Amino acid sequence: MPALALLSVILLVPLFSSLVRSLSSPTWTLDNYAHLFTDGVTLTVLGRTATTALIVTAVALLLGYPYAYLLTRVGPRARAVLLVVVLVPFWTSVMARNFAWLVLLQRGGPVSEAFAFLGMPDVVLSGTTSGVTIAMSQVLLPFMVLPLYSSLGGIDRRLLLAARGLGSSPIVAFWKIYWPLSRGGVVAGVILVFTLSLGFYVTPALIGSPQQSLVAQLLNQRTTQLLDFAGASALGIVVLVVTLLLVAWANRFGGTISAIGVVATSGEGTKR
Amino acid sequence: MKSHSRFALTTVAAAAALGLLAGCGTSDPAPADSGSADADAPAQLTFVGYGGEGQDAMIKAWQEPYTKAHPEVTFVNTSPPDVAQVKAQVESGAVQWDVVATAPYAAEQNCGTLFEKLDTSAIKTDDLVEGGVGKCYVGNWVLSSPLAYRTDAFPKGKGPKTVEDFFDVKKFPGQRGFVTNLQNGILEYPLLADGVKPDDLYPLDVDRALDKLDTIRSSTTFSPNVGALQQAVAAKQVDMFFLPDSRLVPLLRDGNDITVVWDQTVAGVNVFAVPKGSTKKEAAEKFLVSVTEPKQAARIAELLGVAPINNTAKPKLDEYTEQVALYGSANTGETVLQDVDWYTKNFNDASTKLTTWLAG
Repeated sequence: MPALALLSVILLVPLFSSLVRSLSSPTWTLDNYAHLFTDGVTLTVLGRTATTALIVTAVALLLGYPYAYLLTRVGPRARAVLLVVVLVPFWTSVMARNFAWLVLLQRGGPVSEAFAFLGMPDVVLSGTTSGVTIAMSQVLLPFMVLPLYSSLGGIDRRLLLAARGLGSSPIVAFWKIYWPLSRGGVVAGVILVFTLSLGFYVTPALIGSPQQSLVAQLLNQRTTQLLDFAGASALGIVVLVVTLLLVAWANRFGGTISAIGVVATSGEGTKR
Repeated sequence: MKSHSRFALTTVAAAAALGLLAGCGTSDPAPADSGSADADAPAQLTFVGYGGEGQDAMIKAWQEPYTKAHPEVTFVNTSPPDVAQVKAQVESGAVQWDVVATAPYAAEQNCGTLFEKLDTSAIKTDDLVEGGVGKCYVGNWVLSSPLAYRTDAFPKGKGPKTVEDFFDVKKFPGQRGFVTNLQNGILEYPLLADGVKPDDLYPLDVDRALDKLDTIRSSTTFSPNVGALQQAVAAKQVDMFFLPDSRLVPLLRDGNDITVVWDQTVAGVNVFAVPKGSTKKEAAEKFLVSVTEPKQAARIAELLGVAPINNTAKPKLDEYTEQVALYGSANTGETVLQDVDWYTKNFNDASTKLTTWLAG
């Protein structure tokens, strides 16, 4: 309970004062919100942010699912190695990883050289949305792999054997048995990666450019340059509400909250 | 008594949040109840600069000589000088900063609300660059962002020679670099290239500037800050660029082969301001007077490559700083000084338009 009290003081109170400010500055009005939809840039950037977050989530899922599956199928030693491969970048400073991506993706960097070698010169990914998407996918991949791993690890493989024994093909067995059982982990991973993507600042700021700014950069400009705290609060509240709605919606597809709980206490999953 | 308790609260908040002023409470007696602290009384000024080498130079050029002459005044350094942070401090009534580096229009826009009106009567304004002091600021240097290019990016003698060339993608292909900060001429240069005479620049036609920027958009890297563009130059990501003098110098010192082109050069004053409610306003004012003196103005120019705010300053430049000296013999072109009044009135509009153009 002391933790809850602390959390409500340091999280809820500022959040509430942001909400009040967005509605009450300069007077009680919805102008700050109306302005977001009419200034010609916020909607574009929100759309770009959502698209980027969707693509990042899809990439992370496509890479993370087979990887997490592999984790559950290999011996303890190989599993330890594979887990370290996921966790080392996870523990490395975000700045270090993003600078590494900057060096890799910039003009004349290894990636652009590789494309030139393949006969495609002038492929420069730094400063583009593609570059940002690639880097964000790597940075966020652990948030997909870890919940998936704990969820997949808890699936009773004898169910698959039973399905096979009853005459289903491996694909049908996967689709009808394994996939539904793994859905909690998928939803947890998707929610984590998607919501983190929505608020990502460092990667788009370093690897992207102002032309491809995402919502966090817009918030930064509004706060630090225009000193428009009310407008920034309104934008922040909109992003928060959108995120909460998404979480609530995703919750209907297999208990998000409990699935995220699985990450914390991975032993829980085996009882399924 | 009111000011006393607020001061104590400030100190507690600062110590708790940052640990910066932890020693302050003991070494610095609370100001007298009269409200105007005696400037000769011991004071510890919290000084907010841009961090890194720039702030080290500020310490060397301004703080150390000042503490030597006035042992009762010492400094605590921190960074970065976010005006948003000033606003948060002023609004919460817990002002921890005393001297903040900022843009002149940021100080004037928030004059009397976020920043203190300053008594600058002790400064010989006639010796300073135009716009060297304002109601709420004291200039510390002049920042110029001349056209420059990587010498090896063009055949010998075939690099851009004018601001117009920078906007000519046919004659001068290659990647361009611009800082999106309005202090670095992103609105002025396109207009100059479009044929606007320097004297007719203000009021700036922002839409026309953005239309001109459209013509180079696809071959330009827009960097959100000077550090990012400096890094891009060092990593050979851009061929020609508008980078401030103080960032060209470290690149030149590191052996980057850069040619500075003196055609039309946009420059502006950089300033110090005092957050509203600083308990050490008078000590800060006295310190700021010293910053504008010829010796101090010359010293910072020698260290950073910026131009002195004081016209009578005689900096001894080295082979690198003289290449970027706005008021040196290298500058054979025209200098355009940014209009502080225009920016004060139009910064929000112009900044929003630029952001919309960039992100759109």
